[in-house]
Amino acid sequence: MEELKKKLKEQIIEALNLQDTKPADIDDNAPLFGEGLGLDSIDSLELMVLLERQYHIKVEDPREGRKILQSVQSMAEFIQSKQPA
Amino acid sequence: MKGKCYIQGMAAISPQPTFEGDIFSAPLVHTDSNLLACIEPDYKPFVPGNSLRRMTRVLKMGLTTALKCLQESGVATPGPIITGTGKGSLQDTERFIKEIEDYKETALNPTPFIQSTYNSVNGLIALQQKCTAYNNTFVHRGFSFENALLDSMMLIQEGEPHTLTGAFEEITAEHFYIKSRIGYWKSESTDSRELYKHLSPGTIAGEGAVFFTLAGTPTQQSYAAISGFKMLYKPVPGKLTATLKNFTTHADLIVTGRNGDSNFEHYYQELDNCFPDTPQLPFKHLCGEYDTAGAFGLWLSAHILKAQQVPQQWFSMFNQLPEHINSILFYNHFYGEQHVMILLERV
Amino acid sequence: MAERVFITGIGMVTAIGDDVAGNLQNLRLQRSGLGYSSYIDTIYKNVLPVAEVKRSSESLFEMAGIPVREGFTRTTLLGLVAMREALLHAGITDVQSAPTGFINASTVGGMCDTEKLYFDIINPEKTGLFLQYIDTLDCADCTQRIADAVGFSEHIATISTACSSSANALMFGARMIKQGMLPRMVCGGTEALTRFTLNGFNSLKNVDKQFCRPFDQQRTGLNLGEGAAYLVLEGESFVKANNSRILAELTGYCNTNEAFHPTSPSPEGDGAYEAMKAALAMSGRTLEEVTYINVHGTATLNNDVSEGKALERLFGGKVPLFSSTKPFTGHTLAAAGAIEAIFSVLAIQNGLIFPNLNFSEKMEELNITPVTELIEGYPVNNVISNSFGFGGNNASLVISKYEG
Repeated sequence: MEELKKKLKEQIIEALNLQDTKPADIDDNAPLFGEGLGLDSIDSLELMVLLERQYHIKVEDPREGRKILQSVQSMAEFIQSKQPA
Repeated sequence: MKGKCYIQGMAAISPQPTFEGDIFSAPLVHTDSNLLACIEPDYKPFVPGNSLRRMTRVLKMGLTTALKCLQESGVATPGPIITGTGKGSLQDTERFIKEIEDYKETALNPTPFIQSTYNSVNGLIALQQKCTAYNNTFVHRGFSFENALLDSMMLIQEGEPHTLTGAFEEITAEHFYIKSRIGYWKSESTDSRELYKHLSPGTIAGEGAVFFTLAGTPTQQSYAAISGFKMLYKPVPGKLTATLKNFTTHADLIVTGRNGDSNFEHYYQELDNCFPDTPQLPFKHLCGEYDTAGAFGLWLSAHILKAQQVPQQWFSMFNQLPEHINSILFYNHFYGEQHVMILLERV
Repeated sequence: MAERVFITGIGMVTAIGDDVAGNLQNLRLQRSGLGYSSYIDTIYKNVLPVAEVKRSSESLFEMAGIPVREGFTRTTLLGLVAMREALLHAGITDVQSAPTGFINASTVGGMCDTEKLYFDIINPEKTGLFLQYIDTLDCADCTQRIADAVGFSEHIATISTACSSSANALMFGARMIKQGMLPRMVCGGTEALTRFTLNGFNSLKNVDKQFCRPFDQQRTGLNLGEGAAYLVLEGESFVKANNSRILAELTGYCNTNEAFHPTSPSPEGDGAYEAMKAALAMSGRTLEEVTYINVHGTATLNNDVSEGKALERLFGGKVPLFSSTKPFTGHTLAAAGAIEAIFSVLAIQNGLIFPNLNFSEKMEELNITPVTELIEGYPVNNVISNSFGFGGNNASLVISKYEG
């Protein structure tokens, strides 16, 4: 899980081109949108693309997407729940 | 177009060092690659990092030039924003076409699609400046910027105190290649300083972003007045000469879009014949050829009128300029199809 | 006093008809043009509904009255078909008979054809006739080919402000007439379906897998469409001198920017509110005089909330009859403003209010619902037609019955 979150942070920084942010700057539970990283709705679409390209998980419903993309923690939990045990 | 408007402020990102400093002492940038690429400034002082991170090159160039223009004009909220671009963001268009192919239409990132939209720069300017006024984007090759200018002059006639009017264009390596396949560029390597001596098919490519603040009344700060403006689409033989003669009988100086392209040089020869005794300054060795190069030519003309001097280092091959420049005739065309003439006067 | 601007000719092609009469007939029969694509090369062919013009490009060449040749994209052909009808309808046999301008609108130019050739175009090992399509990559190409085919030479322009493009083309043309620059303008837009745009909107998760349901609680997105539409605009003095037949009057218009977000409207519909309010003020009509609103109504989650809120804010408890005709034609992007302006003219001429197909459940955010059945014999005097786009670009038109 810790490894997954670390990797996820690196992938988020790369995908969204967050040049001045380092993985350590992102708190596992901090909200990704609005305050926190200051991401917007286009970023949320890009993060869904990240899930699809890197983890082969497709999020169909934007409402569901909002829940999954709350924080790095929620993303990681979602990814883990989708991966074969 | 009836009625005058005044250039109150302007800014340019171009292949020359035009964004900052004094253009009258700026060195001449040249190339023999047949492609004059822009000198890009540091965008961070103009656009917050969080906004910059998604933007591709021409979006940054367009937005930053617009903001610098507003800054220079002392206008906080721009009012109407009108732009022209022939190609919009080529980088984004190319990227989205490729991603559709590479990812087989699945898991596509929406950003290049959004940014490939021609009015995205306008949207960004409005968004960053919180400007809710009129907003329009023209996309018509050599009439893109010119229609934006016409729209702006109409708005001023309708009572708008000022407009933010501009153009932006980029050339990518891929698009340079594409256009080379249909003869847009010279096939031989050409020193941009020698462009006008190399009369052969095609020209050299360029790019740039230029914005103006236009107003209905002059001030101390005004660069120039636009007192005449005419667009001419695919003129039949004789029409250009007749239109030029009818357009103005006199100008102290002519600024032309001449570009060493032997396919369309005859139009510039018609201009020579109409005004045999008027000195001319061509500008395409500075910015290259592109859909909205006319905006760069207008920017240069306005600088010359206000400063009453020519950036000598850019025009060392030309002499015998008039002592006083009270009027400039600007003439440009884009591959023989869209012809534009503008009359500028000293304020 | 600026000239009044009249609509004196209309021409169109959409998924519900090859001409104005065909469109009117299917509007009356409440027959949608939505279905599945025969011509776009996409994996979503049988997944995402579109409103495609049911004509091959070969057939469009015939309708446009030109021989089949390279360089004429589907965008150009659709435009030329609609243009020919508009001119004929206005009784114009020669556009050079009076100074006439042409303001076109396009969002992706000839992408419909160039996207199929792009990888050959950038491949130095491939060569052939396809190179003639290189110039069709930009938006001016369709405008110039249409202009050259019918003979426009006075003033031409192409506008691209996403989904509000052709509403802005009409506005620009009307302003040129009012400024006395030209007495007659032909304005509108053309749009062909492309894999590029379909994937673009799909990447925004904005496309419904079912037929779109504007203003419905269960809506999940838009369906794209294709088509073209042009309106002939003439100034009052020209109309009198020329004895033109007046179909309707363009009494008001407004373009505003919302400055809220690159692709989404504000939740309270600030831009839509301002655009409608200012257009109506210009028309000199009161809120009560608005008979019908042809809403933008794309059926995306955000648009319909925002536009609906704007309607409630502007009209309070008395929102006029309104409907989205996008379930008929799909969202035709650059052509939408002109297509819906023609629908507004048809509503006025025929006393019709078109139904908003596929509606069943009121949105929780709103107190209003669209018209769901065709209303006939209804006196329609003033119509607001809305077009809102990416980049916060909002445009509203007011089209009024001509009453002398």
